[in-house]
Amino acid sequence: MTALYELPAELAIDTSIARRVIAEFIRGQLRQAGFERAVLGLSGGIDSAVVAFLVAEAIGAERLLSVLMPYRTSSPASRADAEAVVAKLGCASELVEISPMVDAYFANDPDASSLRRGNFMARQRMAVLYDRSVTWSGLVVGTSNKTESLIGYTTLFGDSACAFNPIGDLYKSQVRQLAEALGVPEAIIRKAPSADLWPGQTDEAEADISYPVLDRLLFWRVDKRRSIDEVVALGFDLALVARVDRMIAGSEFKRQVPPIAKLGPRTAGVDYLYPRRRPGSARV
Amino acid sequence: MKPLRIALAQIAPRLGMLDENIARHHEIIKEARADGAGLLVFPELGLTGYLLQDLAADVAMRLDDPRLATLAEATEDMSVVVSFVEESGDHRLFIAAALLEGGRIAHVHRKLYLPTYGLFDERRFFAAGDLLRAVPSRLGVGVGLAVCEDFWHLSVAQVLALDGAQLLINVSSSPGRDLAATNEVGLGTASSWRNLMRTYAQLTTSFVVFCNRVGVDESISFWGGSEIISPSGEPVFSAPFFEEGLFTAEISLADVRRERIGLPLLRDERPELHVRELARIVAERAGLAPDSTADDMAESGLDVAPGDPIQNPIGFRAAR
Repeated sequence: MTALYELPAELAIDTSIARRVIAEFIRGQLRQAGFERAVLGLSGGIDSAVVAFLVAEAIGAERLLSVLMPYRTSSPASRADAEAVVAKLGCASELVEISPMVDAYFANDPDASSLRRGNFMARQRMAVLYDRSVTWSGLVVGTSNKTESLIGYTTLFGDSACAFNPIGDLYKSQVRQLAEALGVPEAIIRKAPSADLWPGQTDEAEADISYPVLDRLLFWRVDKRRSIDEVVALGFDLALVARVDRMIAGSEFKRQVPPIAKLGPRTAGVDYLYPRRRPGSARV
Repeated sequence: MKPLRIALAQIAPRLGMLDENIARHHEIIKEARADGAGLLVFPELGLTGYLLQDLAADVAMRLDDPRLATLAEATEDMSVVVSFVEESGDHRLFIAAALLEGGRIAHVHRKLYLPTYGLFDERRFFAAGDLLRAVPSRLGVGVGLAVCEDFWHLSVAQVLALDGAQLLINVSSSPGRDLAATNEVGLGTASSWRNLMRTYAQLTTSFVVFCNRVGVDESISFWGGSEIISPSGEPVFSAPFFEEGLFTAEISLADVRRERIGLPLLRDERPELHVRELARIVAERAGLAPDSTADDMAESGLDVAPGDPIQNPIGFRAAR
């Protein structure tokens, strides 16, 4: 039996402290916003499974709605994995097929690229989640991890859209470590991560790099501020380092709030600076 | 000397909700008194919450604010340290910690060092204090107050001890971060703080009392882990991480005497030497005097010139 996953030594975290911090974070975000429930999109992949487990741990599974939103080309195995999470947690779940909405839009545009289709699907899922946020009276919980956020492997206002994100500061390898600690089904931890837009698609094949290598590189470049020369000395390939650097810089815009042209005396995000949640801001 | 019972209010203040936090303080003061506490310590900005940004001005209080007077009155026979945003007469906002005793405000310490780097942005919203003083207290020993980052500057603990403090009190809103499994206690921030508090206690041969908040403001989670460290650098009490609660422990202030007799570090301090050398460094850094400890051709602030090391031993005049 091979190891469940590969965990680079420098990325190992104390999962009990991580769970403690994240549970308090989730409860704090909901309380400060005046909500008691949460909703998230469950894909069958490890990120959304981990977040579902974390939310259930923080507020109880009965306050979580998991929405399964397959497209007609999505893998049946993904759906089965998502259903396994729902069954294990005992949370509420809903199935919303996005094929009719997506296909209606592209009906007169059959040559649309897979990039356009993938982005549209991600945004359609976002639209469904924010609608369910109203029907379920819950905040939308984000499920993007730090690795995909740093390299920009996300759809702006799509999968990255959320009210708060409990795992956005954890690399994929660390999400796996947390998944194991939380008791996420092994099949989900073991399978190759995929955006599941077409059969056989995997993140690692698309980016042409393995997660353990990418996570280590990002850790040394971003968290530990090592220069290009220094990470090459650590054994990383120079061409790879340059490519990942470009991915990071090229996706800076995805990680930030859009700039507002500064015209008036006080401008949101510039010199009008308040906490997102403050006295009077909680829903009553 | 009878033991001193110390209560640490490891609370999660509600951000910007001054009235609610004040009410909570009153409840905790009652609870600590019923428990026989002689000293009760609240965390940094316990009355307002930490990540205030532009809310700071809304929750600021003048020292003559009746709400502070009411809190002070509630202390009666206790010593209580509270922390809030203080607005001065010229409308500067400070992160303040106040020692309340005998029904009045006995001392106010304004945070000296405002971290404005990494996840911190304090200097944007607050003014830095200018005074560092140990003050007498009804506890029978001198007390030195410091706020969070103040303790990341070596001189603060030493100045307070030299000024007569035997009890150093640090109130904090320290955000927990760095979960690397290699950390001694699973949390990098906690490891760093524990190292420095034990070192300060031992080197100043004083008690260190640390009260850190818990709870969440926006993205950041505060780790708690409030502590009391003895003058020998040993922890007397360590509160759990991330858990809200009123934690109490007893200390014997006589330990200070024992430690200082056995290990007279404070007796042997050379403040006049510090003053002399610091005065020299200040003048040299300001360009008012040549850097007497640097190579001749060294870039300012670098001390070492490029090329071969030469020079006479520092501190000796070259033979002519």
